[in-house]
Amino acid sequence: MNLEWVSEFASLWLSQVIDLVSQGNKRVFVGYLLSALALACVWLKWQRNLTIVAALKYLLSPKLWWSKSSRADYQILLLNQAIMLLLRPLMLSKLVLATGLFYALNDVLVRPLWPTALSASSVALLFTFTLFVVDDASRYYLHRLMHRWPLLWAFHRVHHTAQTLTPLTVLRTHPVEGLLFGVRSALVQGVLIGVFVFLFADKVSLVAILGANVFTAVFNLLGANLRHSHVSICYGQTLEFWLISPAQHQLHHSRDRLHWDCNYGAFLALWDRMGSTLLTASSQQQLSYGLPHQEPKEQTLSTLYWQPFVTSWQSIRHFISRFLNTHRLSIRANSETHDVN
Amino acid sequence: MSKTLLAVVVAASLAVSAQASAAVYADFPITVKNYAGDKTHSESFVGQMARHALHNSLKKLVSKGASLEQTSAYFSAKDKGRVIINPASKEGFAVLQSQVDDLSSGKNLSGKAYRGLITGMPGNLTGAELLQLMLEKAAETENGFDPLTGYDYTQLISKFAMGAVFYNQAVDSYLDEKLAADVKPNNKAYKDGAAYTGKEHVWDEAFGYFGAPAHTLELTAAEVYAIAKQKPEGFAKADYNGDGKVSLVTEMAYAHAYYAASFDKGGKTQYLHTIVQAFMDGRNLITSANGEALTDNQRSQLMGYATIIKTQWQRLIAEAVFKYAGSVYGDLEKLETIIEANGDAVKAYRSYVKHWGELKGFALALEAGGVNLGETGVKLNRLLGYSPVLLGNTQVVALVDGEFVQSSSISLSEYRVHMIKVQKLMLDSFAVEARNKDVTANLAQLVEALGDALSAEND
Repeated sequence: MNLEWVSEFASLWLSQVIDLVSQGNKRVFVGYLLSALALACVWLKWQRNLTIVAALKYLLSPKLWWSKSSRADYQILLLNQAIMLLLRPLMLSKLVLATGLFYALNDVLVRPLWPTALSASSVALLFTFTLFVVDDASRYYLHRLMHRWPLLWAFHRVHHTAQTLTPLTVLRTHPVEGLLFGVRSALVQGVLIGVFVFLFADKVSLVAILGANVFTAVFNLLGANLRHSHVSICYGQTLEFWLISPAQHQLHHSRDRLHWDCNYGAFLALWDRMGSTLLTASSQQQLSYGLPHQEPKEQTLSTLYWQPFVTSWQSIRHFISRFLNTHRLSIRANSETHDVN
Repeated sequence: MSKTLLAVVVAASLAVSAQASAAVYADFPITVKNYAGDKTHSESFVGQMARHALHNSLKKLVSKGASLEQTSAYFSAKDKGRVIINPASKEGFAVLQSQVDDLSSGKNLSGKAYRGLITGMPGNLTGAELLQLMLEKAAETENGFDPLTGYDYTQLISKFAMGAVFYNQAVDSYLDEKLAADVKPNNKAYKDGAAYTGKEHVWDEAFGYFGAPAHTLELTAAEVYAIAKQKPEGFAKADYNGDGKVSLVTEMAYAHAYYAASFDKGGKTQYLHTIVQAFMDGRNLITSANGEALTDNQRSQLMGYATIIKTQWQRLIAEAVFKYAGSVYGDLEKLETIIEANGDAVKAYRSYVKHWGELKGFALALEAGGVNLGETGVKLNRLLGYSPVLLGNTQVVALVDGEFVQSSSISLSEYRVHMIKVQKLMLDSFAVEARNKDVTANLAQLVEALGDALSAEND
């Protein structure tokens, strides 16, 4: 039996896992983790007057990093990278989308001349900023849908079953949800690349640091990873109307019913304001994470992966039977009306 | 049994040792039965190399504004004493031959130019007639450039002649009907007294038209490119026999072999070596028949090599169409910007016309391959038109009484979009891979820069 593909698959999987921490366009890139750690130490010193050592002890406590919930995070993280490798052929190709759109736009429109007057650096900045904003908006809306559609919530709740938050909790994602995130990202990037290259041809480029969109990288360097942590950094009410602070995202993870369905945004608070889902935070907030009535088995891999399919199937069945019932009732009501007449 | 085996092994090693190198298209043994001449090897393609020298010289003449009489000497005449204007010796790159007769006498280009109809230009002209018309028109211009029609005759004549003569002769004649069993058979000399058989010479002539040095397989694409450009660093690579001079018969690179090298040096394609290897394999197969008629099996193998050559050759011409469509796209962008700003468009217009000439010349060359391009040919002709779109949004639409007639057409912006469609057509119809000057290249670069979206990161 030829086992070459096993070793090839294993090496691809390993390189994916390493990419997660070594590539600047990944949230848990080691540079961003270190900057988050430094920022958290400074915050704890300022807010709680902890020494650096005490702060590090708190931040790196095994109670957080080796809790049942965190161990489930790691298992999901590792298994997901293998599953994503298998799902890759199903993924919407950004290049196919961008190229198709580019040709289609050229077919139906004549490119205006004004874009040629802009310098390459301003086009690059415009592209990078637009990408950041549109990407952020699409994250908000998909995230909101994940919470509001029972079918999608069945999968997204896996992320919310985390009871201790560490930066790696960002990768606690059901593969179905991972696929949806991938499609969302490919759609946004493919469309924007197609449109921008149609308008600005070879002047389009990405302003990047560490290989990532400069705006995303700056947010990540400024502690975006602390959104999944127990360090409640808040920006103050004024700034939190514009940017989502780590403490605001922690509210989103709160078990308290009062905090449900708030702060879906990733970086900008604008979308939550527009959707009336914004909640500002406090640095003194004491929260417990996870979902109410959560069973211990919800930290086991089999339940985390399988249960969403069961729940979503139930929600589909529920939807169908409700639809049929309504339909039957209206038929019966109609026929009864006819009988009376 | 063991004696027979030994005899086979000895015979095989003798056959191998009779050749200088398995990688060089040279020193093939004479297999013609009862050959009585004094030649020591059978390959011969001097006539083809003479035509390459005629083509190179003709291009130079047109670009210098030569008269029709001067250009005709290299196109249709067969006179003795014609000097090779290009490739000529220059510092750091000495060339062995200086006259066309040193290569082969009595050769011209017009006699071998495509006799079929060329639909990409007006007037219902054959390939040969179109070349003749272009030469006549070129003689009336300054240095081969006609700003009124947007024709750069240097480029149009050169690129189309490569197709109408070299490509057509090779793929539509030598690698096509002349490979039939009863045409130029291998068990007879090509002609009385010749050192080569019918099939050997047919194959050699096709090889000659491709324009590659005989030792191509020992060179890189970049080295063959440097040889064609007569760069000093290419000299040592070209001078395979080390006599201090480059032979225009066996050591020089011309025409489509040069273009193959130019694409291959980018690293994405292997046109040059694939084609030359197929020529080598085919020639070795013919040689191995040892002067006997080719069996059906051998001939079908040979047709297989011919198909590789024909497919790759057509694709590399399509690569050139793709590349120059990209150049024209860039020229049009510059031109539109300059016109919008009321700037001086003379230089940009000249560049546009030059690249269009190259584009159109290669597009016309595709028609000369003896293959019906079908819808692809129709689309290509419609997208390009008979001339570039000129600054007043006009285009040549007909040839009336020997004069090109213009009519109103689309805008420069719309014509620029045509270039995108030409590139897509080459991609869809010929699966080009080098894709030089790809107008969609930035799409792929941006996708690459943004990286993978499948890491299952949550919000």
